[in-house]
Amino acid sequence: MEEQSRTYILEASDLSVSFETDAGEVQAVRDVSLSLKEGEVLAIVGESGCGKSVLCKSLMKMLPGNARIKSGKILANGIDITGYKERDMAKLRGTLFSMVFQDPMTALNPTMTIGRQIEEAIKIHNPHIKRDALEKRVIELMGLVGIDQADERRNLYPYHFSGGMRQRSVLAIALAGNPSVLIADEPTTALDVTIQAQILDLFRDIQKKMHTSTIFVTHDLGVVARVADRVAVMYAGKIVELGTTEDIFYDARHPYTWGLMQALPAYAKGKEMLHAIPGMPPVLIDPPRGDAFACRNEYALAIDYEKEPPMFRISDTHHAATWLLDERAPEIKPPSPVCSSFLAEGDQREGCEGTAERKKTSVVEECQNDAENRETLVAVNHLTKSFSIGKRNVHKAVDDVSFRIYKGEVFGLVGESGSGKSTVANCVMNLCKPDSGEILYKEIDTCCSKEFRKNKKMLQCERQIIFQDSTSSLNPRMKVKDILTEPFRIQHITPKRGTLSAEAAFQLTYVGLDNSYLEKYPSELSGGQRQRVAIARAVAMEPELLVADEPIASLDVSIQAQIVNLFRHLQKEHGFSFLFIAHDLSMVRFLCDRVGVMHDGKLVEVGNVEDIFRHPKHPYTKALIESIPIPDPHMERQRAREKEHE
Amino acid sequence: MSKKEIGIYIIKKILLFLASIFLLSVIVFYISRLAPGDPLVSYYGERVEKMSPEEHDWAMEKLGLNESVSVQYVKWLSNAFHGEFGISYKYKMDVLEVISGRVGNTMLLGGIGFVLIFTLALLLGILCAWHEEKWLDKIICQVGTVTSCIPEFWFSLVLILFFAVELHILPSSGAYTIGKEKDIADRIQHLILPVTVVVMGHLWYYAYMIRNTILEEVRADYVLLAKSKGLTKNKILFRHCLRNIIPSYLSIMAISVPHILGGTYIVETVFSYPGLGTLAYESARYKDYNLLMVLCILTGIVVVVCNMIAQTINERIDPRIRQ
Repeated sequence: MEEQSRTYILEASDLSVSFETDAGEVQAVRDVSLSLKEGEVLAIVGESGCGKSVLCKSLMKMLPGNARIKSGKILANGIDITGYKERDMAKLRGTLFSMVFQDPMTALNPTMTIGRQIEEAIKIHNPHIKRDALEKRVIELMGLVGIDQADERRNLYPYHFSGGMRQRSVLAIALAGNPSVLIADEPTTALDVTIQAQILDLFRDIQKKMHTSTIFVTHDLGVVARVADRVAVMYAGKIVELGTTEDIFYDARHPYTWGLMQALPAYAKGKEMLHAIPGMPPVLIDPPRGDAFACRNEYALAIDYEKEPPMFRISDTHHAATWLLDERAPEIKPPSPVCSSFLAEGDQREGCEGTAERKKTSVVEECQNDAENRETLVAVNHLTKSFSIGKRNVHKAVDDVSFRIYKGEVFGLVGESGSGKSTVANCVMNLCKPDSGEILYKEIDTCCSKEFRKNKKMLQCERQIIFQDSTSSLNPRMKVKDILTEPFRIQHITPKRGTLSAEAAFQLTYVGLDNSYLEKYPSELSGGQRQRVAIARAVAMEPELLVADEPIASLDVSIQAQIVNLFRHLQKEHGFSFLFIAHDLSMVRFLCDRVGVMHDGKLVEVGNVEDIFRHPKHPYTKALIESIPIPDPHMERQRAREKEHE
Repeated sequence: MSKKEIGIYIIKKILLFLASIFLLSVIVFYISRLAPGDPLVSYYGERVEKMSPEEHDWAMEKLGLNESVSVQYVKWLSNAFHGEFGISYKYKMDVLEVISGRVGNTMLLGGIGFVLIFTLALLLGILCAWHEEKWLDKIICQVGTVTSCIPEFWFSLVLILFFAVELHILPSSGAYTIGKEKDIADRIQHLILPVTVVVMGHLWYYAYMIRNTILEEVRADYVLLAKSKGLTKNKILFRHCLRNIIPSYLSIMAISVPHILGGTYIVETVFSYPGLGTLAYESARYKDYNLLMVLCILTGIVVVVCNMIAQTINERIDPRIRQ
């Protein structure tokens, strides 16, 4: 026992954490045991609400006031710190472990310079440090995390910095006390894909240089493949599978892990639909009896509903908690595409082609053969829109953008945040007025107010939009049925199903929600359900053009898959044209027929989705595609090696 | 910001200031004259009732009240530009003289009240935030809610009844005992009750605001980062959170100056404290037009200036708005 605990820097055994809320006790973390060796990167993955963040915060004892560690122990270098008082914990924080947060925009004190915030972190554990030594250390730390011109930049405030730079600063603060463990809670989720790649490289660099162990919380399996040595899969507050990255990616045993993997577009090989895990994670106020995952598990056995499965040992490094591993369980072949077949083809890029070619042959042919013959629904010509910041500073959000959307196609628009994607969408929907250029919808110049007024009703019915944040785009004081039928009332249209309420019920079933949701308010729904309502509202008018501005960005992987499947299904049924704006390139590749790449307000490349992904011409498109983390550890490692050689 | 831009900024502010004061003077001038009542009452007292119509007209003409309101206003304005604001009908002396005798008293009452509110609110707010949702916090919040519901005039009467009438330990009215004008201890004695009422009326609102802003700030992500780098709770609170709420607190307190000033006016009336409040009350009641105008404009200037200070604080202190 002595021997063992010495090798682990941080260890949790049978840790349970609960929150006292008005609704009851939320068991956020249930009997979690895990250990962290020196210099290793442990990734924790799972959907939101699975207790990943709570687990991390409880390791550092940074939980809010209503949380209690119910049972279990936390050991740091073999010493039990579970009972430590706040003052003792403060001494450990920063030196033994420190934390990096999800949103770099809010993690820094906005009224303090970056330099001072780093200084403060150094001074906590070294109060008598001399002024020049302190300054030297600040500059050294900023250099370490890749902020150049540190001497000038340390006097800047956080608002001067971009998201990536802020995350670097947070990392510098976290590293100031030379911690042995770095806990990173979704550190790249809020960042653009190219910046994410840089930050991930930085994490790997630092980990190599300083031999820190890292706990890396994420929901992106691509990121996991890139950084992790070991992976813990969490579901409903429990660790359901734990193993090396290879174990998890190539030999997963838990159905939940299968589900997570298959939900990725990269695995939707040769399929029309993504594999979505049905339902949602359970509420942990009163966790279900037996295996919490049973009701979403297509392989569930009778015993799953009765008794919680223990951790089965598969190898020394690989453990999983599912009754499927019991010797009495029936033999189940894991769903085929989980990596092995995928790897056999050697290259992930090639691997995906199968899918695309099958799915898109017809479309591609059409595009190439009779592009001219296809009917144009929307034509955007030389669209330009600027916003003024202050009096003289004018920012060109959209700069001379031209593209067209054909009838019945899914057009993807990708690019980093701030590249002008949403502005294009808003201009297409007449939500903002362009400075110059024209947008023709069915040959009608929608930017001309006279033309617009003449065709107002038609334009408003035929073009619908879905926003990213369904929380704020649905009126919180309206019931779902009123939200769904509002367009009919505004336009004085008699719905097809006769009455408004019949129409609302029909549309709701259509997007996969039952009638009990009609009387609910948006706040009573989950993010995925709200997005379904937003989609139902848009589709109810049977639009010709549906514009979706990052409709899945704020959703979990498995819910993303559900929504993307829904889009695909609806698009097929209705045959509307679809302008799909996203920053998740793999999703765009799965869903879209053609894609436009935006960079700094300019449309740098437009073309068939497969052409662009296989043979990107513009350097920016190349960089963008290369930054997508691939959910395959071997590929990722090969990539890293190539990068180092360069 | 270049020098030229700062110049334009200041000129803009001054123009805005002058415009609001001008508008205020017009409105007060017209409204006070529209209200029913005879201004001669304050000048001649009881005698007005015995005046013949001719005498009455003559008196009106003497005070310049016989002309149309617009003409009166133009005259008043041109005199005002020469520094002449007319005489008070009641006190029969120059308005400015009347006011200068009282302004010190109000400043003393309001000033002490303001400083006390400012510091006590900060302390109570921090105390509550520190003990969030614990019994101390709950008690302070409850007491605050109840106390701020008590109307000031009623609270003043209760205090007078208890400390002056029953216990005879504090005076019930005035700013000093006659004959002891220079005695500081006596002055303080006279201030205790009015200051208590002023402070009690406003303290809780600001304390509660401080508490909530601190708690909002404490929930920000950067506090978690500060905690994870090993800062202790009190250092996080004082070095990070307080620092960030002080600018907004200062600006709110600047806006609150007129609010508190209004409170002292009521309190002064109840305690017959010889300050601007009693004067304003009398002048409005007895139609002492000239006095009323100057008092209103004076109060208006304080309000506008304080709001401008608040705005400037907001614009300047936060580095994000500064540029």
